[in-house]
Amino acid sequence: MVIVNAAGLTTRELNGRLKELAASGQEITVLNPHVGHNIAVGIFESCRIQITGSVGYYAASLLDGPEVAIDGNAGWALGENMMAGKITLTKDAGASVGSTMRGGELFVGGNAGARAGISMKGGTLIVGGNAGFLTGFMMQKGRIIVCGDVGEAVGDSMYEGAIYVGGEIGSLGTDAKTEEIGEDELLDILATLESHGIKQRYTFTKVVSAKKLYHFDSLERLEKTVI
Amino acid sequence: MCGVGGILYKKIGNQGTSSVGKDLVKMLESMTHRGQDSSGFTVVGEDIDGDLVLRIWTDDPAQAADILSMAEEALQKAGGVVRTRSAWGQFLRLTIDYEGEIPALAEAILNTPGVALHSIGETSEVIKDVGTPVAMDGIHSLSQMRGTHGIGHVRMATESRVDVNHAHPFWAYPFTDVTVVHNGQLTNYHKLKRMYEDQGHRFQTGNDSELIAVYLADKLANGDTLDSALRSSLSDLDGTFTYLVSTKDGLGYAKDQWSAKPLVTMETDDIIAIASEEIALRGVFNQEIDRVEPQNNEVMTWLL
Repeated sequence: MVIVNAAGLTTRELNGRLKELAASGQEITVLNPHVGHNIAVGIFESCRIQITGSVGYYAASLLDGPEVAIDGNAGWALGENMMAGKITLTKDAGASVGSTMRGGELFVGGNAGARAGISMKGGTLIVGGNAGFLTGFMMQKGRIIVCGDVGEAVGDSMYEGAIYVGGEIGSLGTDAKTEEIGEDELLDILATLESHGIKQRYTFTKVVSAKKLYHFDSLERLEKTVI
Repeated sequence: MCGVGGILYKKIGNQGTSSVGKDLVKMLESMTHRGQDSSGFTVVGEDIDGDLVLRIWTDDPAQAADILSMAEEALQKAGGVVRTRSAWGQFLRLTIDYEGEIPALAEAILNTPGVALHSIGETSEVIKDVGTPVAMDGIHSLSQMRGTHGIGHVRMATESRVDVNHAHPFWAYPFTDVTVVHNGQLTNYHKLKRMYEDQGHRFQTGNDSELIAVYLADKLANGDTLDSALRSSLSDLDGTFTYLVSTKDGLGYAKDQWSAKPLVTMETDDIIAIASEEIALRGVFNQEIDRVEPQNNEVMTWLL
């Protein structure tokens, strides 16, 4: 294991060092992140990175492969656009956690801010606590599992994918509806939660797109000419 | 962008004042990536030698001393008795005894050409300038300022010009001790500004954030509590906003219906600290903290 002390390093120096170490396949521990922005961004190797302390905006974003464990809070847009890999956060995440993620798994141990999983295109986002306003806004694919409550307008304008809520729903967003959960998917959710040490059996409400505003079968005029 | 920060020391017994100026400089300096056009602070709660403390500024560096003296004379003619005076560059700080109406005093000072009034307070004073917080501290000795609470701002200008006057906080002319820092843009600014001007309110800048200060002070003057004034602003103000307000005995925040602009808060038995980013809170709390991120349409106030 290699220890990288972030204190005194610029963001570019820190991320350059992390990329070098990731390429060499070593397990990395980052000390003193001090809520800095853009920490551990754009790493494409399979490796393990442990960050000891809270991070700022865009932490562990643009990932393709690594497992990143953060012990602390995260600012806005943790794990943005993750392609593959795994992110675990012990405490609270800011707004837009997992925005536009396409794959992998993102676990928030505490609460998430507004717009969790906005425009998600795949993968699984799990929130152990509550999630805020506009959870799953414009979601296109993937799963969001929230053990606690969600704020207003959950699933607003979502296309595909599913949001599972263990607690209260503030309100459903435009074109969102609830539907029955299948037994297999429930077992899958419970197994996923158990892999993060959550054994409580929540009664989940499943939120999906009502597809009344969903018109992907009718292509735009210009798109038709392309086909 | 813009960064906002605020701190309030809860009074425990006769604890008195704390290092509010120093705390705010640390908090805001850590957010200079959110804006470096200008910075500003309100510090509240220090005992003033006199009834009121005034912060006056002139836009004319060449004749600053003369213009500021003229403003001081105008104030004396209006019935103000100067107790203490300090002047540096284009800035003047006065503490005065005064028993008349605040609008008459403010009007007398502002009728001096080239003068702006950054604040009139019983214990609140606004210090604002172009540049970063630490650079400002060197010029305005912010770190020496003690108080019970205060707010601060670093600005990345979007809607109006960059100069000392357009820096935050905005003081609500002509009410004492109400000041605001704002991150966001108001879209019904011109409409509301015209409405307030028709009612006789005076604006000193073309900055939309000044409107929030006037809006809140007007509500407070008409009997609203700080909490109810902030709550009505959620529907009366259009656009994006996370703003902080400080009054003589309180601190509060309001976040718009879209939760568009960031804010995190941290409360202990002794301190309430609020800021755009967690890194700013760490300027006050050195260790890892548990912080709360307010959502859409949220308001919170704390009174001393």
